Formats: sequence, C-alpha cells, structure tokens
Amino acid sequence: MSEVQTVDNMISITIDGIEYKAKEGEYILNAARANDVFIPAICYLTRCSPTLACRICLVEADGKQVYACNAKVKEGMEVVTSTENILTERRAIMEVYDVNHPLQCGVCDKSGECELQNYTLELAVDSQSYMIPDTKRETTNWSSVLHYDPGLCIVCERCTTVCKDMIGDAAITTAKRGGAELDKSYKESMPKDAYSMWNKLQKSVIAPSNGTGETNCSDCGECIAVCPVGALASRDFVYQSNAWDLKRVPAVAAHSSDGAQIYYEVKPTSITDRTEKIYRVTNEWNYVSLDGSARFAYDFQNTTASKDKAAFDAAIEAFKKAETIRFNAMITNEEAMMLQTLKEKMGVKLYNPEVKAFQTFLNHYEAASGNSLWTTDPDAIMKKSDFVISIGAALRNDSPAMKYAFNNVQKLNKGAGLYFHPVGDTLIPTFGKTVEVFTHKVGHEELALYLVLDLFADKEKLPEDVKEYIDSFKKTETKTIKEKEVKTVKEMVLNEETGEEEEVSKKVTEMVDKEITVTTNGLVDLLGGDASKFDAAFEKMMKKKEHFSMMLGEDLYYHEKAENIAKLVALVEATCDMDVVMTPPKSNALGVALICDLDDAQSGYTIGYNENGDFRLSALGDGDLDMPALNQQEGTLCNIGKRLLPTNAAVEYNGYELNDLMKVLVGAPELTIDWTAMLPTDRGFKAIAFDDLTNSFDNDGSDNRGYRLETSNVETDLPEVEKCDESALLEGEIAYRCNPARQFNDFTDKSHEIFEAFALYASTEKAEALGNKVEVVFDNGSITLDVLADEKITGDIVKVPDFKAAKGVYDLFGGSRYKTVTLRKV
Amino acid sequence: MEVTWIGVLIKAIIILAVISAIAGFGTYIERKVLAFMQRRLGPMHVGPYGLLQIAADGIKLFTKEDIVPQNANAFIFKIAPVITAATAFIALSAVPVFPDFTIPSWIPVLGGTFVPSIASDLNIGVLFVLGMMAAGLYGPLLAGMSQANKWGIIGAARTAVQFLSYEVVTGLSILAPIMLVGSLSFVDFNAYQAGGIGDWLVWKQPVAFVLFLIAGFAETNRTPFDLLEHEAEVVSGYATEYSGMRWGMFFIGEYANMITVSVIAAVVFLGGYDAAGTLGWLFIMAKIAFFFFLMLWVRAAWPHVRPDQLMWLCWKVLMPLAVVNIVITALVMMV
Amino acid sequence: MGLEQFKNRNVGTQNYTMVDAGHSPQGAMCQFKQVVKRTFKGELFVGLWVTMRSMIKALFANDMHTVKYPLEKLPISPRYRAIHDMLRLLESGHYRCIGCGLCEKICISNCIAMDTRYDENQRKEVSEYTINFGRCIFCGYCAEVCPELAIVHGPRYENASQQRAGFSLFEDMLTPIDKLNLQQEYDGFGAVSPNADENIKQTPLAY
Ligand code: SF4
Ligand code: SF4
Ligand code: SF4
Ligand code: SF4
Ligand code: FES
Repeated sequence: MSEVQTVDNMISITIDGIEYKAKEGEYILNAARANDVFIPAICYLTRCSPTLACRICLVEADGKQVYACNAKVKEGMEVVTSTENILTERRAIMEVYDVNHPLQCGVCDKSGECELQNYTLELAVDSQSYMIPDTKRETTNWSSVLHYDPGLCIVCERCTTVCKDMIGDAAITTAKRGGAELDKSYKESMPKDAYSMWNKLQKSVIAPSNGTGETNCSDCGECIAVCPVGALASRDFVYQSNAWDLKRVPAVAAHSSDGAQIYYEVKPTSITDRTEKIYRVTNEWNYVSLDGSARFAYDFQNTTASKDKAAFDAAIEAFKKAETIRFNAMITNEEAMMLQTLKEKMGVKLYNPEVKAFQTFLNHYEAASGNSLWTTDPDAIMKKSDFVISIGAALRNDSPAMKYAFNNVQKLNKGAGLYFHPVGDTLIPTFGKTVEVFTHKVGHEELALYLVLDLFADKEKLPEDVKEYIDSFKKTETKTIKEKEVKTVKEMVLNEETGEEEEVSKKVTEMVDKEITVTTNGLVDLLGGDASKFDAAFEKMMKKKEHFSMMLGEDLYYHEKAENIAKLVALVEATCDMDVVMTPPKSNALGVALICDLDDAQSGYTIGYNENGDFRLSALGDGDLDMPALNQQEGTLCNIGKRLLPTNAAVEYNGYELNDLMKVLVGAPELTIDWTAMLPTDRGFKAIAFDDLTNSFDNDGSDNRGYRLETSNVETDLPEVEKCDESALLEGEIAYRCNPARQFNDFTDKSHEIFEAFALYASTEKAEALGNKVEVVFDNGSITLDVLADEKITGDIVKVPDFKAAKGVYDLFGGSRYKTVTLRKV
Repeated sequence: MEVTWIGVLIKAIIILAVISAIAGFGTYIERKVLAFMQRRLGPMHVGPYGLLQIAADGIKLFTKEDIVPQNANAFIFKIAPVITAATAFIALSAVPVFPDFTIPSWIPVLGGTFVPSIASDLNIGVLFVLGMMAAGLYGPLLAGMSQANKWGIIGAARTAVQFLSYEVVTGLSILAPIMLVGSLSFVDFNAYQAGGIGDWLVWKQPVAFVLFLIAGFAETNRTPFDLLEHEAEVVSGYATEYSGMRWGMFFIGEYANMITVSVIAAVVFLGGYDAAGTLGWLFIMAKIAFFFFLMLWVRAAWPHVRPDQLMWLCWKVLMPLAVVNIVITALVMMV
Repeated sequence: MGLEQFKNRNVGTQNYTMVDAGHSPQGAMCQFKQVVKRTFKGELFVGLWVTMRSMIKALFANDMHTVKYPLEKLPISPRYRAIHDMLRLLESGHYRCIGCGLCEKICISNCIAMDTRYDENQRKEVSEYTINFGRCIFCGYCAEVCPELAIVHGPRYENASQQRAGFSLFEDMLTPIDKLNLQQEYDGFGAVSPNADENIKQTPLAY
C-alpha cells in the first residue's frame, strides 16, 4: 500500500496478554484482525463506519467494556477478548438472533457460509431462553437483481452501511417492522447489550430508502455480498446451488478499469450437462467492492468456439494481408504484447479508439510532470484522503472504484469533495454535506483545473502568468451588508426584595449596516457555481483537511486541449499538495496504453478484434474466428491502481487463441501466459512469470494481487500552460458518449443479468420532451435510439452509450466525448 | 423257453437303455432327496418339479466342450471313462434285472421272442459281477494317472488303495452267503430265499450283510467313503480334468455301480424277487430302491472319513470280522 | 420370520449360548472306548434320523426353507441398505426432499447429483436428482444425513445391471402418488432414534 508504515505510527497493545503492534487510531477489531486474533463481529464492515447493531464484538479494554469495532487502540492498551460477562452477553445475543429465525438452513442459499450459522455454533447455542411472537414478513424483489427475504434478515445493517458508506447510493435503509413488543421482564432478566440489540432488531427490517418497493439503485449487488445471512441474494441465484458445491476461480473483473478482485464460482450446468458454468461472482468484500458489471456480467464466455481449421487458415491469410488491427480494451496484457509484436514484425497498424486518447494524454502528462503514471490510487485515497476533486469523469458511470472512493472519503474520513462535470447529477451531492458540484459548460474543464490551482496551489510556486490569469477572474466590490452586533447595555433595575436600585448589564443584539469588500471569484461563476456562497462553503470544507486527491476522467483525454490539460494537471501536482489518479477508460486500457504503440487511424484491410473489421476475431462468438473471452483465459490485466493482476480461466474454451495465430505468423512461446514475463520492463512491468504472481489480500487489507507497476519520476520544469480557450465551448444540443452504469462493452451486454438497454439516456424532463425514440444526427452520420429517462441526470445533455462496438459510436463521436448533435424525434 | 441271441441282444439293449436312464434319473432323485433332507426344494425349474432337469443336464453334458489337457496321455485319458462305464454295464449282464418276458406275438419281426431276466445266466454270476466291478477300478486309476494333474494323481492313488482294499472285504463278506447257498448263480440265490421273508439271507448272515454294505459304499465311491474325488481335499480327484460327456461316463458308471450293488444286496440278502411275475418285479424294484435311497440318505447324514480311517476300518476291523464270520459260518454248516 | 432381533440395535446386549463341544479322547484305551461307545450307542443312526426327520418335516409339515427367490422374497431388515427410495409427506403427498444438497455433499462416492430452482411458490424445488448406482456403495450416509428422512434405503436390493453406470432419477425412486398409503415409515439407518424425545431441548414458543 502506498501508505508507508513507519515504526512511528505503530503502537503496541496487548490482547489477551500477548503484545501486538497496531496502527495508531485503528479500531481494536481491525488491529486484532491484522494480527490474526479472532474477535467475533457481525455488523462491522472493514471500510465502513461502525453501526453497533450486533454488539457481539464486546471486549474489555483497560478494564472497561467497549465495542471492538468502535473503540480505537491506544498505546499500551490492554484488551481482553472474553470475560465471563462478555461470554454471557455474546451467548444471549446469539440466542436472540436465533429467536424465530426460520429453521431454513436446509434450503438457504447462505448455508455453509452463513455467519449466523457459524456464530451460533461458535458460541455453542444449544438451547433457547427467549421468545416473542413472530411477524409475517414477505419476500420481495427490490430490483432486477436484488432479492430480499426479511424472514432471514438479522438487521445487522451491513447492507445499508455498505450502500451508504461505500457505494454511495444509500438506496436501502432500516424500516419499521411492526413486530410485537418485547416482554418487559426481559429488561431485567436479560444481559444488557443483548436486550438493546433485540429491542432494535425486533422493530426493524430493511427497505428501499425511497419509500417505494424498488431501490432504483446502481444494482451493484454489494449488499448481497456483505449480507451475513441468506436475507439478500441475487434473484438469479436463489436456490440454484449450495455454496459448498461451487468451485472458486480467482479472477479479475473484466469490464471496468477497476480490475476488482473477484471469484468466478463455477459448477456443472446441470445433471445432464456437465460442462462448468459460472453461477455467481463473489468478492473479498472486506477489501474490495464490486460494481454491477463485475458482479453480474460474468457469463460472457464464448461457448460456440471450436477448433475450426478452415477459419484458422482464413485468419492467417487475413493477417498476412492486413494493414490494420482494430481492437479495444477488452484484451489481456499478453494479447496486447502479441499485437505489438505483430506491429513490430509485420508492420501492421494498431488502431484502438478506446485507448488511443488515453495513451496520448498519458504521454503528455509524463512529458509535463516527469511522472510515468499517476501518483495515487482509489485504495490509497480511501485510506487517507480527506478532500477529493473529480474532474472530467461521469463518476457514476465511468469508474466505480473512483465513485466509491469519492463517496467513502466523505463518509469515513470526514472528507469534502468538489465534482466538476457538465452533466448534472443528483446522486453525487448526497455523498456528503461538504460536496460541491459544478455543472459547468462543455469545454470548461481547463477552468476547473485553474480553479483548483487557485484554491490549493502554493501561490509562491505558481508562474506569474498563471497567477495573473487566475486573478483576472477575481472581482472586488464593496457591499453593504447587515450584520448582527451584540451590545452590552447597562440599566438600573429596582430590586423588589431589597427595594434598592441595582445596576444590571444586559446583552442586546442589533442589526447594523456594515461596509465590506468582497472578492468574488469569477471562476466559480463561470463553472456554474455560486461565487457569493462558495467562499464560506469552501472555508467549511477545508476544516482540518490534510490529504488532497484529484480524480481525472475520460472526458479530459478526449478533450480538444488534452495536452494543455495534461500540463495543467502537472502544474497542479507541482504546486499543490495533491495526489492524482486517472481513470483508464474501461478494462485493460492501461495495459494496452503501456504495451502497444497505437496508431491514429485505421486504413486498408482491417482485422477487428472484438471490433468491426474486414476479418473479425471475436470472443463474442459472432466473428470469423473465435477467440476466448476474458473469463476463459489466463492472463494479466492492469488496473486503475497501477497493478498488474493475474486472472484465471473460469470456463472451458475449445477454440484457437491469439497465441496459436502468433505461432504460425511470427513464432511464439507455447502458452499465452509465457508472454507475461516478456512484458516491457521499460514501461514498468516486471519480468515475473505468470505462475509466480501472488493473488491475495492480507488480513489487514493489504493488496498482494500481482504486482504494482514500477513508476518513475524525473525532475522537470514547471510546464508552460495555456489559457482556457473559450472557443472550444460547445453550444446547442449536446450528446455525451457515456454508458449506463454496469454496461461497458459487448460482453456486459451479453451477460444475462445486465439489463441496461442500448438507448439514449436523458434527464426526466429532457426525456419527456424527446419522446420515445430519437434519431441522433452527428456531422458524420446518425443513430436511432430509444429514449430512457434517468432520474439521476439533470440538465439537457443526453448520454449516448458506446457499449455495442457494432454500432460504431466511437466513429460517430470521432475523437471526442461530447458532440453537438441534432435530435430528431422518430 | 429258448434263450435266443436276439432275446439276449434285446435284453442287453434294455439294460443299457433303462439303466442309463435310471442312472440319470438317479441324479435327479439324489438331488431331490438331499435337498429335502436339508429342507430345500432341489431342482424345480426345468419341467414340473424339475423333472426335465435330467434332460437339461444330458444336453449340457453332450454339448459341452470336450477338453483334453495338453500334457495328458490322450489315448488313455479318452478310454478311461469308457472303461468305467463299460465295466459297470458288463457287470449288469450277469445280474437279474426285471423278470423274464416274451414279446407279444402281434409285434412284427420280434414277436414271440423270449427275453430272459439275466442277459447271461453264468454259473459264476456273483464272481463275474464282483470281478467286473473290480476291473472297473482301472477307469479312475487310468484317468487319474493319464491327465497330468496332481489332484488326478492323488485321486488315482486313492483309487488303487481304496478299491483294492475293499475288494477283499466284498469278496470275503459275500463268501459266507455263497457257502450257504452253494452256488455262484444269482438265480440260485433267489431260489434259496424263495420261502418268504423268513428265508432271507440277511437273517442268517447279518454280519456279512453289514460288511457287504459298507464295502459296497466304498466300492461305489459313495459318502462316507468318497475319497477319490473328494472336492474339499483333492478338487475332483481323478475326474479333475474331465468335462462334458467323458465326465458324464464316469458319472453314469458310478450310478450303474450303485444300481449293481443295490441289486446284489437285494438278491443276495433280501430275497430277490420273491414272487414271480409283476409282483416280484415290484418287490425287487422296491428293494433296489431302498438300497439306492440308503446311499443318498447316508450321504445326507454322515460326514466322510479320512483316508487313514478308511484303511484302518478295512484292514483292522472289517477284514477280521469277515474272516471270523466265514469261520463261524463254516463251523455252523459243519455242525 | 420376526424382525425383533434385527431391530435391537444395541450390539452386545443379546444373549449368547456356549456350545458344549466335548473333549477329544486321550490315549489308545480312551479311543477304543469311544469307538465302542459310538458303535453301540447308535450315534450314526441318530444322524440318519435327524436327516430323515428334516425331510419328513420339510415335505409334510411345511418346513421347507427354500424361498423361490424371484417369485418370493424374504422381508429384509430395515437396517439393510438397498436401492434408495424417496419418500413423500403422508398428509400432503408432496415429496419430502427440500433440496438441501446434504446427501450430494456427503456422498463419499460422489454419485448423487441434483439441480434445484426457485419455484413459483417461493420454495426450493428439486428439478433433477439422480443417483448413479454403478458408483453407489450403499454406505447409507445420504440416508443418515438427510434432515427430512426423504432419501432412505428401500427394500429393492436387485441392482445387477448390464452397464457400470446405472442412473436412477427422482421419479424412479419417489413413492408413486397412488401408492402413498403403502409407503412405509423408514426405520433404518439415520432414522430418528427411539429415545429422540429425551435428547432434545424444547424451544420456548410465544404462541
Ligand atoms: S441465514 Fe444462515 S442460519 Fe438462517 S437459514 Fe440461512 S443458513 Fe440458516
Ligand atoms: S439484509 Fe443482510 S446485511 Fe442487510 S441487515 Fe439484513 S442481515 Fe444484515
Ligand atoms: S449410499 Fe453412500 S455411496 Fe450411495 S448414494 Fe448414499 S452416500 Fe452415496
Ligand atoms: S439430504 Fe434429503 S432433503 Fe436434502 S437434498 Fe438429499 S434427499 Fe433432499
Ligand atoms: S461488530 Fe461491533 S457492534 Fe457489531
């Protein structure tokens, strides 16, 4: 992890008489876990705030009973994990959880990995002392993927907590159950904590927080993952398989650039069909959180593939005459390396519109800042940042990891945030009280960076011209405002008892007029904010803030002034105390950007790899030659965390691989994964063989998956930046190339648990105005789309998805993410 | 009535046909009786009450693959069973089986032919029968020695020892009745006892009767003296390598011998066919059947003996007893 | 034939009787005496009589022990572990199996396979269930682990087949609905022990 654990911030504590090291300010529970000491805990989630719902984590710290998930370690603290009283409490708590819990383990999907089962056995609950009449609670479906059985729910609130603290949607919350009242006598007879836990449990269930029966959330399924019991399940998985029947294949989520750790869980399809199928995706939810595409877009494998020799020979011929290979980010590092080799040996062009802009941006950034890659990652941001800025990313859609980090910082680090984006969003402001959203004009991204410079830069370091430019936006005016003034007035009052007059002083508030000079920051206004209120708000935001991070999104890479933006970013880094992270657009964009030498355009005979082309290699099963999908092959991917991550094949693949073509074309090693150790070390890769890559998390949450790419840092001069070019502003009807959350590419679309349609997404009002169907006319073509309302969007900009490669949306947008279009009703 | 060669031929054919049929039927009876005594049902499935089991077995024996072991002396191996079967049937030629009869005259060609009770009424009938039975020991002996099998050799050795020993006892035990009757012809034996149950030789010679029976069991290789092919010890003894019809011939020979011994015992000690005609026919059948049944019964009830016990019994018990019996008989006759 | 002795599962509590096997004679004189004694005591005839008596009883007193096997069958002990049966609930007739998969998990020869699904009544439904009797070793673990007494060992012990693999499907093993009244409660391996009531603790109920 990026945070260096120096001896300084480690303290020592004793747990049950044994001395351990712990990080200062850590919760006792986490300190114990990091040291492999077991303390029972149900409701606590590692990267979320403690809810104190279960109270089973009771321990004694320095002689006082505290909740381990909520009490922080102190130097020399002595923790005892079980005393007689604590054991009584814990036993009573587990008995209470078992009151009226349906005897359903036999069919429950959670059986075998259920924490209620585990703790009931752990605490040897073999009899029941409490009772209360049960309430009928109906099973409901909250969304197209969420299935909730309140009968099984133990109201630990993990689901609501993760949804609020990590995911940010806060789509579910506790609601009234309408259960019977606890018998009064229990108050005396029961252990205290067990009673209060029960009192709350008996009154609550979980329900969508918008008051309807539907969550209308981003359908990430993280609540399913964290639910300790069988109350929450994916609708598709209910009663499909017992946990113990599933084989776990460690892998990397293929679609977004998060590169989240996942397990594909496989078992034979059915009694009659013994080929293995993926039943679900699970994750180490204490250390990573998935988005909907990672959890639900899993069955995108190429099932129809076979070793078709004729197609293979045709492919060889095609490669021999090909001028261009067009591909996208859904490709492993090894395959990217193969394509690069083809370029070097056969002189083909590599065309990748998804990655090209990103690669160029990275190069500009490197030139300007001297850093080969960005300086932080979402994990590190969550761990320590308390101020985050997001520029140029549709946070909800582009990069789940950044969205989670942005939100988590607000919730856990008492953080603040600035969000700059042309498309209005109703969700982001709910992340925290000190989140300011700037819905700026398309083309004003540079101004956003100038505002950052204005707010955070060490003015001493800033070049004069920049300082001048920034100051040129400031206006100073004199204003008369009314201000409260407190005056002390002395009065003579007659004391009735003594009959004497006494002098009494009184405080009186008066409104007085006052002249003040106000500096309004024109930048704020230009960016769509309210300059008059911003200063005060910003002052509040900055309270006790120490670690600042900036997240940059895809909009910037496609920006006309991308080079200038990259320089501005470098300037921000150089002059502000600010870490930067950039979202690779989709999947393995970073790997491709590092490995391949991409060309600007395609020409001549083109081979499309999962893309349009004269000859198509496809893992979707619809091409001229079949290729394995990312859940069918071993290989490595690079993610936003600048790590190289190994992924494994979950389901079988019967066709040819790219490496087979390579063997015939230019010669290649035996296996695809033999390329892993050959990845270019000058771009930060290490010569480590695939089989030697580690793939795990430590108990304290350290990520040991694969390895972190080597980054270099060269001292450079401050970059020369240009002023914001107002002529780049877009006017009129604007389309934004942006996928609905959970959709990234043809593969997510192929998966049966992803339902988001290929349609035009617009705010409710805009959608009403547009009708059911529109033709979106670009200057080089048009596309006809259904119109869907997304109530989380505000403003007039419409989102046009690009996840279907065959629709050629990249070509329509032609090198930018925003386009002025004509919307014609159909 | 004139005994013609046609009559003898017919008789011979009848004996062959009937006795081998009875031998086959005997196997059925044996299996049934043993089953009943063990509270089982025995063969039940081929034909009513399993009656056609014999036919099934016959078909099986005839159609089974004929195997001659590689190192066997093929010639001897092949004729050994023939010796057993042939001697058994030859012995029967001097034994009265069924009373005389004349083929009714309405039957063409053979009409009026007289068929005698004995195919060949030799005046040394008893000796001849005993001799033939003794000659039968070449069957198992040669079979065991020719088949190049260790179990066979042991079987052959046991054959030599057992048959030779008991031959002595048979001869000696039957000597006393011969002395009384004064003839070696079975017809004379029959005539001697014609006076009814009281005249039966068994009353005059009980010891000889018992000795003869015991020796008969040994000679016919029946439990408790079935050492020649005792499965639990020597696999199948002399018959180890035999299969199909060759093995079947040993089998038929054994059953024919059982019948012969039964006939001799019936004729010599139990009065033969006391009355002439059908009744006598029934009588002797009943007596033969009794002895036959006795053999099965004994097999069901008793364990078999060890070879050493067998020899001990023969030379130390039976032979002295037989000699004593002869001496006493002689003394009684002289007085 | 009574089943009492089979139903007594407490091995070791049955009564065993020692057989008086007698002594072998010592020395020549003793041996001689034994021979004489045996000869005149007519022991051999006792043997003959025993077999004859058996025959008479078998033929005339209906004491034949043969079971004409395919036509007649002996009742087998409930503890016998033969081809599995799937039982139904007596009242509703619904099959008992809840699809918990424990039998599938515990099966040491890995010969049970099942598919389940979420049915219209929000219940777990067993959509497919097979046992490969070519691999089953009739250990009885599945019957023992089954929480519903749904899978039990039935009385069908004829499991010879022409192929190694022999699959039985759910319906093959399930009590036919029209034979529900003939369904026997299972007494064998894994059934509730006679003193089960004493061994459980009551859970308090509020209604
Ligand atoms: S949630 Fe856990 S305890 Fe409850 S029925 Fe399911 S497996 Fe059993
Ligand atoms: S649904 Fe699951 S995670 Fe949510 S409160 Fe209930 S038990 Fe806890
Ligand atoms: S009896 Fe044993 S081997 Fe057979 S299905 Fe049951 S558990 Fe498996
Ligand atoms: S153990 Fe019983 S209830 Fe569970 S799946 Fe097997 S047969 Fe069905
Ligand atoms: S884990 Fe601490 S209160 Fe639940």
